[in-house]
Amino acid sequence: MPLLKNVTISFMSIKQEAIITDEQTVSVALPQAGLMTKSQSQLARQDLYDSLKHWRIWLMLAYQDIKLRYRRSVLGPFWITISMAITVYSMGYLYSHLFRINFDDYFPYLAGGILGWSLISTTILDLVEVFILSENMIKQIKLPYTLYIHRVAARNTIIFFHHLLILVPVMIIFHHSLKTNSYLFYLLPGLLIIYVNSISYGIIFAMIGTRYRDIPQIIKSFISVVFFVTPVIWDPAVLPPDKRFLVSLNPFYSFIELVRSPLTGHALAFHHVLMVFAVTCIGLLVSYFILAARRARIVYWI
Amino acid sequence: MAQIDLQNVYVEFPLYDMSARSLKKNFLQLATGGAVGKDLNHRIVINALDNLSLSLRHGDQVGLIGHNGSGKSTLLRVLANIYEPTKGQVRIQGHISPMLDTILGVESEFSGYENIYIRGTLLGLTRKQIKKQAAEIAELTGLGDYLSMPTRTYSSGMKIRLAFAISTTIQPDILLIDEIFGAGDAEFMERAKQKMTSLLNGSSIVVMATHSDDLIKEFCNKALLLESGQVKYFGSVDKALALYHAK
Repeated sequence: MPLLKNVTISFMSIKQEAIITDEQTVSVALPQAGLMTKSQSQLARQDLYDSLKHWRIWLMLAYQDIKLRYRRSVLGPFWITISMAITVYSMGYLYSHLFRINFDDYFPYLAGGILGWSLISTTILDLVEVFILSENMIKQIKLPYTLYIHRVAARNTIIFFHHLLILVPVMIIFHHSLKTNSYLFYLLPGLLIIYVNSISYGIIFAMIGTRYRDIPQIIKSFISVVFFVTPVIWDPAVLPPDKRFLVSLNPFYSFIELVRSPLTGHALAFHHVLMVFAVTCIGLLVSYFILAARRARIVYWI
Repeated sequence: MAQIDLQNVYVEFPLYDMSARSLKKNFLQLATGGAVGKDLNHRIVINALDNLSLSLRHGDQVGLIGHNGSGKSTLLRVLANIYEPTKGQVRIQGHISPMLDTILGVESEFSGYENIYIRGTLLGLTRKQIKKQAAEIAELTGLGDYLSMPTRTYSSGMKIRLAFAISTTIQPDILLIDEIFGAGDAEFMERAKQKMTSLLNGSSIVVMATHSDDLIKEFCNKALLLESGQVKYFGSVDKALALYHAK
């Protein structure tokens, strides 16, 4: 019974909150611009723009996060590379025997998949709690909200480049089966697209996760399921042909391929391009609207 | 010229978790806290600021007084643009420097010098600008060689020295201060006072929340007495303090 009560009340509060938003204008004068009245959507754009302008801050914070984690350890951030190497090398050995696949073909596939997956999954997990964990800073100093999203996205991108080092031995050992070709250059635009999506979906997840505290928990349990249903460690080619289309409906698959295809020397399949394009557009639209409507409330939710 | 105008500003904190409902009665009995009310759909809200209007002009050095929970910190955060009011208008002109929590960003694993760099970046300085001011900051802390050691080795007084020195490097138009003078030995307090005075005199508007009457008498030319998120008195320092102590 108490559970049911909870649901109705939170639903009411959504409805109620929706009322206050758009008409409300808050006057804020900026030091350089003088007095002016800004609408909520202007303030949202200002937030996005200011966070880019303050790149120094989030880059420093992202770098500081990593430095802090490995402070006082002898190897420092090199641990990021080592722990990923242990995961990939042991899983590659085990699963190639388990699935009875040719080790030479499977290993680069797995390494690319795990790298892409760890980038995407840790970014999502970090993002959904970013405002909750940054409470101290948000309440003490006025910085754009999207700056905190950039901090997480930048941090995970830096970690990804540490992970990338594990591919150096892979490329030497498997040089006969692994084609390292010009497709490798597509890795950078791929990462850029992932970064843009980290920001847009970061805004969505972080805001919803801050307002409804069950959401971070739901996403945490959801992510571990996604790992198994997404072709990270397995190849969809092993599925019966009539089931393969189901896999291609999974957006996580397409985003992992943004990383894996260039690393293993393949072109990105067209259906992945379509999926990434659609997901990106939806993310940009939804994040803009949610930011414009609810940005001012974030600090009250913390 | 810096100026601040607040017009019928409300700040209402919604209580989302249901356990708060059972606390309702307790909240109503709290004499010191903000007023508790209900919003349109019967959600419990705390009115931290309740229909507050305020105008500050160049030269105003305002001391904020009031009991715990009367809305001092909330008002400072509205002025710092951290809370956007739920209702009402805020117009602020001028570069704001909030000194709300000086310890913010002091990371215990990093050295004093690294912390100067971190805090400087947070305040919007570039690496070059920080470098230019680093020597001056180091001088003000008086920590000497300790600055190259991780701040976890510092005593709490030393941490405050560092934080104070870093956060007073920027000269803003509007200075917002929340209970800044804490620990620190006599020698440092003397230097801190000098620095503070020059910072206060350089600012166009100062708003300072403190429980120390002496500080208000020394640094402020006006006082604002808050009670339950409303302005009870705004005017001369002596009268405000008398009213505050009258109860």
